[in-house]
Amino acid sequence: MSRALLLIFGMAAVTYLPRALPAVLLNRLRFQPQVEKFFQLIPYTAMAALIFPGVLAVDTGRVEIGVVGGVAAGILAWRRVPVLVCVVAAIAVDFLLYQL
Amino acid sequence: MQRETGAACSRAKQYLRGVKAGLPVILGFLPVGVAYAIMARQAGFSGGETVLMSLAVFAGASQMMAAGMYAQGAGLAAIILATFILNLRHLIMSACVVRRIREGGVGMKLLAAFGVTDETFAIFTTQREEACSLYNFLGLMSVAYAAWVAGSALGVAASGFLPPALSASLGIAMYAMFISILLPGLKGNLRLGLLVLFTACFNTALSQWMPSSWALIASTLFCALLGVFFVDPNKKEEGER
Repeated sequence: MSRALLLIFGMAAVTYLPRALPAVLLNRLRFQPQVEKFFQLIPYTAMAALIFPGVLAVDTGRVEIGVVGGVAAGILAWRRVPVLVCVVAAIAVDFLLYQL
Repeated sequence: MQRETGAACSRAKQYLRGVKAGLPVILGFLPVGVAYAIMARQAGFSGGETVLMSLAVFAGASQMMAAGMYAQGAGLAAIILATFILNLRHLIMSACVVRRIREGGVGMKLLAAFGVTDETFAIFTTQREEACSLYNFLGLMSVAYAAWVAGSALGVAASGFLPPALSASLGIAMYAMFISILLPGLKGNLRLGLLVLFTACFNTALSQWMPSSWALIASTLFCALLGVFFVDPNKKEEGER
């Protein structure tokens, strides 16, 4: 097998392992309310951590690309504009910023 | 018999609802898939290998990292270990997704687990709890998977054709998506908003001290644990005190 194929299958295995474990272990388990609450909060903390500080480094040379694009998406999202529109708007704003 | 048709119908409906909820992922994944494919081609992967990696791995950030490391001549073991560490966060996300899927055996859950990404997790777990089901998630992940593989194939075909300003602007897509999923859920819940703000600062600080994939896992878990004591995630706009 070629080096690239070996790498691909190795990566596939170690990526699927953490995804699959909960499917086997958590099947039909019930949790304490405190643990339920912990799981409910994870989406919010995970997304906050996925956005910051990564958004500042969208373009490592120009911080404003991430900031302006992110703020544009944020303003629209706060007004409950659909996600799809927010994404297109952010791309458009950054495209314009690159033309300046 | 009638009940069976009803159940099948509602499964199809749940699947289609998942597909619809996943439409924004197309705009997030197509551009990033294109960007990944361009990187992978430059790193020396063939067109077929580039698409095969998307089919088999289905994890954007680690595929880009792998392409980068491969181009720099890193060893296979190092790339695979880095991939494992980067994707450990899916353990937490998969646990959240599986917890919300009540029906189906281990086999179906193992299938659904393959589709857990930052984006499918974010969309699925911020839906109303009643909307969450196995077929709903399968619909969501089908769209995401198709968009990711199509984006990679498109990138292989288009590498070299895209104007640089456009491919650079596509970098914001992922973040715009997270922001627009996250923000509406914070309306009317000040404490949850403060927790999110704190997590953002905490992760930024932590990223100075450790690799960012470890910082992400640590701040997600620590801040959620902190929130258990003073945040009610179910308090919504209408429930203002």
